[in-house]
Amino acid sequence: MDVTTGFYTQDFWTWWLALYLYLGGLGAATLTTTFLTDMYMKPHPQLVLWGALSGIAMLSLGSAMLFFHLLDHMAVIHILNPMVLINQPNAWIAWGTQFIVWMMVWGFLYALPYMMDSEFFGRIPIVKNILAWRLVQKIGRTCGRHCRLCGWLATINGIGTVIYTGLLLQSFPAVALWHNPGVPLLFTVSAFSTAMAFLLLVLNLAIKNREEDRPLRLFYERTDLILIAVELVILFSFFFYLQRGSQSAAVSAQLLWNNWGWLIGFIGFGLLVPFFLELKGVIKGWNSPAPIMLASVLVLMGGYLLRHYFMYAGVYARPW
Amino acid sequence: MTHYAMVIDLNTCVGCNACMAACAMENQTPIWDNKWRTYVHDKEIGTGEDIHRRFFPRLCNHCSNPACMSVCPSGATYQLENGIVQVDEDLCLGCRACALACPYDARYEVTYADVKQGRAFFGEEAYRRRRPSMDKCDFCADRVAVGQKPACVETCVGSARQFGDLDNPDDPVAKLVDSGMARPLLAYLGTQPNVYYIDDLKRRG
Repeated sequence: MDVTTGFYTQDFWTWWLALYLYLGGLGAATLTTTFLTDMYMKPHPQLVLWGALSGIAMLSLGSAMLFFHLLDHMAVIHILNPMVLINQPNAWIAWGTQFIVWMMVWGFLYALPYMMDSEFFGRIPIVKNILAWRLVQKIGRTCGRHCRLCGWLATINGIGTVIYTGLLLQSFPAVALWHNPGVPLLFTVSAFSTAMAFLLLVLNLAIKNREEDRPLRLFYERTDLILIAVELVILFSFFFYLQRGSQSAAVSAQLLWNNWGWLIGFIGFGLLVPFFLELKGVIKGWNSPAPIMLASVLVLMGGYLLRHYFMYAGVYARPW
Repeated sequence: MTHYAMVIDLNTCVGCNACMAACAMENQTPIWDNKWRTYVHDKEIGTGEDIHRRFFPRLCNHCSNPACMSVCPSGATYQLENGIVQVDEDLCLGCRACALACPYDARYEVTYADVKQGRAFFGEEAYRRRRPSMDKCDFCADRVAVGQKPACVETCVGSARQFGDLDNPDDPVAKLVDSGMARPLLAYLGTQPNVYYIDDLKRRG
């Protein structure tokens, strides 16, 4: 029966789901990195507000991509209930949904005391009134007293969300490109790399290049450089794994490594160019923040391209 | 305990597609959108004059270790004690994870538009579906529950499809599987499928 084997890609999950995985990983890694920075490196209210609110926005947008892709939107209620984890402990979408929801809840609570102290939020008409409510004030003060607890609960759910984006693809056994332990690792490294890039943009563009943030920016640049290097090593391993694997893997390899978007777009401009830009920044430094900002934009673009091409290059070998 | 399975003999499938038609009418599938619970592939194999036409019926393999069930976030995909894997349309979100998990391409979407079209096609009163969901073959579980065979087996003119109980050693299906003549597809993936095929290429030399 083997002589009739055909190779097929799927069209059930397209760029919508690639965007869901990208924004889920980026949003969760951004929140996690921001909170860990604030808790253990340097208390930084502005960074927390930018990281938490943009992270929640990314997680919301990503979740919306999944929601609008559903066949029955009303049935989503079945996985919002945390009890779903008892009924379906093997289903990563069930875990991912809970991670995302609780990440947003604890992330918002961690940022709430900073919002209450912020002049900016005190000037926004409706938000100003809501923040003045007694209940909100009480919640904010409680969260402020237990900020480490809120921070760690958000961080645990954030790391869960980041790993989940890879575990989800790994759970499909028929596709060799997806069904291997390298995928969660690759997606986790990529998510934190894009989060570093995003926070570098925030520090350079929104928080305006403050001299006191220089060590923090350098730390993010160095971490991003290491993460890009690790990502390249994982991709190098994937290249050889796919070359000499199953037929499904071999066809995926052909699809990826014969595609200019993957080769030039992702590996070239999404990894190698930012790697060398950041390497020079770390070793010799740049006179202007522009090269690092360019590198950050390229890393963010590369993060999406990775998930986009991974989604489209998953190959099923079927005996008909 | 009953453990249902199907054996498909590729030597006797004549490609009449009666199984597809019977299944579509029995299970009210969205045929207007070319979506089927069972499908017969038509392929030419060989080179030069040594060529023949192969018909390859395909359906849900009702795996004992179903990947579609483990990825289903809401528990909409579940397994009966007799081995039949079913979908509860009320619980199904339609996230399509089951479709990606299935190695046998057994899943298809039933959209809001399909439900609307189904009411017009099969009749408002006769149409059973109420909500969109992912869908697939359920071995005609309602028919099997009252002692009938699945519609595709009942209608097969070449007797290419046989349905039986693997736990009954006297069942012809169990004998074919035990003999090793009927083999499952993609067994190496660990899904433990319960649809078996008798190869035609060996007999054709």
